Amino acid sequence: MPKDDLMIEVKHLKKTFGNNLVLKDITESVKNGQVICVIGPSGSGKSTFLRCLNVLEQPTDGKVLFEGNDLTGISDEELNQLRQKMGMVFQSFNLFPNLTVLENIELAPVKVKKFQPTTAKAKAMDLLTQVGLAEKADQYPQSLSGGQQQRVAIARALAMNPEVMLFDEPTSALDPEMVGEVLKVMRDLAESGMTMVVVTHEMGFAKEVADQIWFMADGYIQEKGTPAEFFAHPQTDRAKDFLSKILL
Amino acid sequence: MKVKKILLLFIFLLVGSLTCLGKVQASTDTSLQHVKQKGTLVVGTSADYPPYEFTVKQNGQTKYVGLDIEIAKQFAKNLGVKLEIKNMNFDSLLVALETRKVDMVISGMNPTPERQKSVDFSKIYYRGKQYMLINQKDATRFKNIHSFRGQTIGAQTGSLQYQLVQQQMKGNHLKGLAKLNDLVIALQSGKVNAVAMEEATAKAFAENNTSLKVINPNFNVKASQTGSAIAFHKNSPSLVAAANRTIDQIKQKNLINQKYIPLAGKYMSNNSRKNTMWNYWTYFAKGIEYTLLITAVSVCFGFVLGTLFSLMRLSKIKIIHLLAVWYIEFVRGTPLMVQVMFVYFGIGTVIQAMPALIAGIIAVSLNSAAYVAEIIRSGIQSIPIGQAEAARSLGMSQHEAYRYVIIPQALKNIWPALGNEFITLIKESSIVSIIGVGDLMYEMQLVQSATYKGVLPIFIAMVLYFVMTFGLSNVLGYFERKMKHA
Repeated sequence: MPKDDLMIEVKHLKKTFGNNLVLKDITESVKNGQVICVIGPSGSGKSTFLRCLNVLEQPTDGKVLFEGNDLTGISDEELNQLRQKMGMVFQSFNLFPNLTVLENIELAPVKVKKFQPTTAKAKAMDLLTQVGLAEKADQYPQSLSGGQQQRVAIARALAMNPEVMLFDEPTSALDPEMVGEVLKVMRDLAESGMTMVVVTHEMGFAKEVADQIWFMADGYIQEKGTPAEFFAHPQTDRAKDFLSKILL
Repeated sequence: MKVKKILLLFIFLLVGSLTCLGKVQASTDTSLQHVKQKGTLVVGTSADYPPYEFTVKQNGQTKYVGLDIEIAKQFAKNLGVKLEIKNMNFDSLLVALETRKVDMVISGMNPTPERQKSVDFSKIYYRGKQYMLINQKDATRFKNIHSFRGQTIGAQTGSLQYQLVQQQMKGNHLKGLAKLNDLVIALQSGKVNAVAMEEATAKAFAENNTSLKVINPNFNVKASQTGSAIAFHKNSPSLVAAANRTIDQIKQKNLINQKYIPLAGKYMSNNSRKNTMWNYWTYFAKGIEYTLLITAVSVCFGFVLGTLFSLMRLSKIKIIHLLAVWYIEFVRGTPLMVQVMFVYFGIGTVIQAMPALIAGIIAVSLNSAAYVAEIIRSGIQSIPIGQAEAARSLGMSQHEAYRYVIIPQALKNIWPALGNEFITLIKESSIVSIIGVGDLMYEMQLVQSATYKGVLPIFIAMVLYFVMTFGLSNVLGYFERKMKHA
């Protein structure tokens, strides 16, 4: 496998909060075009791991390489540049409440990438159409349902033309009937060839869409494999225990 | 410990530099030469002391008149320089002299030994008796100092009369106020039973108000205590000698009794004939103009500086964080009045040419910045961390995240608190009147002294302040509603 096929490499990643060692020693890599679903029990460090990938959390030790650049040892300017290529979607959407849906999407392309406002607007409208919310362009986030807000958040991240998308439990804060619409957008995105790392509790989605499942518990990635292998034949006791407790 | 040391060092340096500066200036006497070189004689006075010094309105302009002003005019003329009058509280006069805000002080000031320690005095140019101003209805009760026993006596703080009451009327309550006008209001409203005052001044008040009466309570006054003299900066014999020559000339021609006092009397009766408030609307208008100017400029600077300090306070760099914390705590922990005086008199020692208006604006801005900083900090901290994370994940720098995402939202949240601070500023800015900035409060005092009416100008000023704050509060409310839609 050619080296440049690797998009993200994580080497001996450790993260502590105070005395609490959350990530104990993680070495993994994400290939171009791969869809990774990270699953595992609550408090296992999944979200922290994801947030270390774009250095929203500064790793305590180890390296995070994105396209060969070590994100833990570069200047703020370089980090800001590279983050533009790593879209992120949060559990709580984090839309900017003072801006309309359209303005939410346009803001970073215009202010950071210095796109012409007309170009940015056209692109934003395309993305809104893609997530099925073109008619909501001029509304404010709080008038939208949770599912709609999360779809806008995905469009906002996509507006920067990212090379990888990080999803931090994107459906966990949603009412059940809204989960489907968000997962559909994510599925479409995966089918379009986007590299994705998804922290999720949606086992159905993981099973169907993921190229690889990473099972995380106690600060380690305990086991990984294709959905078929993992769900049918979990290797570790930790994974067996986890799967026995969830409804599939 | 380290923090304490740095702070101490800072204070030490500040005090040190100020005292050094004072010493260097006092070493040689170039006082006369200095005044002649600049071509202006800057005279400090407290223009609420008719007939010595007071204000009249002439063609819409405030004009300082009175026998002291005439003497100053004559002196400036003899020196061949222009005369500039600076009007301020009597208490502030000697400080202004020491800090070289003014070249001399002429304000019916008595050369007491205490004062002689810190300034030089000219010869006595006028000697008046020490009287007591009382309400007409009390005329039968009060005859001399003994009949006042147990009563409350008012006197101007820092004045000879204040000392006399303190020393010779021990059984009395003494109430000191900075302005004679306020004392007279206190007398009329029964807050004090009498006001100790210099003869000519007391007579002036009584002449202009029939409910007041003048009596001579027979203070035991030494001849040396009664005269008025001109004060100069310590160690300026050349300027004192020049002043003495002018005084000799004035005395020789008996100008004070024959010309200056009658002239002052004319202005005073002129004032009382035209003392409807309407005649003084230009005073109030000018006061409003300055109050709004000071507030507007201070709001702008206060906001910019406040934003800066709030960001500094939120900074992860410890020294920057601490600087902001110290600044905010210090400014919030000291009265605005002291800050105004410190900027004008203290920093004014270093920057001689700083006008009172600029000093006032600087002090009010710096004060407001501390409060605005805390408001903005609370606003920034009220924004969920997810907003910053979302912005950073889109590749925004911290600066961009603050500018485009955090600050706009914070501003919306803190608008009511910020508006409240701006309204407070309109009112608080009234404190700059103590250093002689012509804001509404100051102009109100001028109207008081020009019209001999105490309460009405206060009432008008109060209404005007309310109109300004109410107007601003409505404007702010409009924007608040507008922002809510977003």
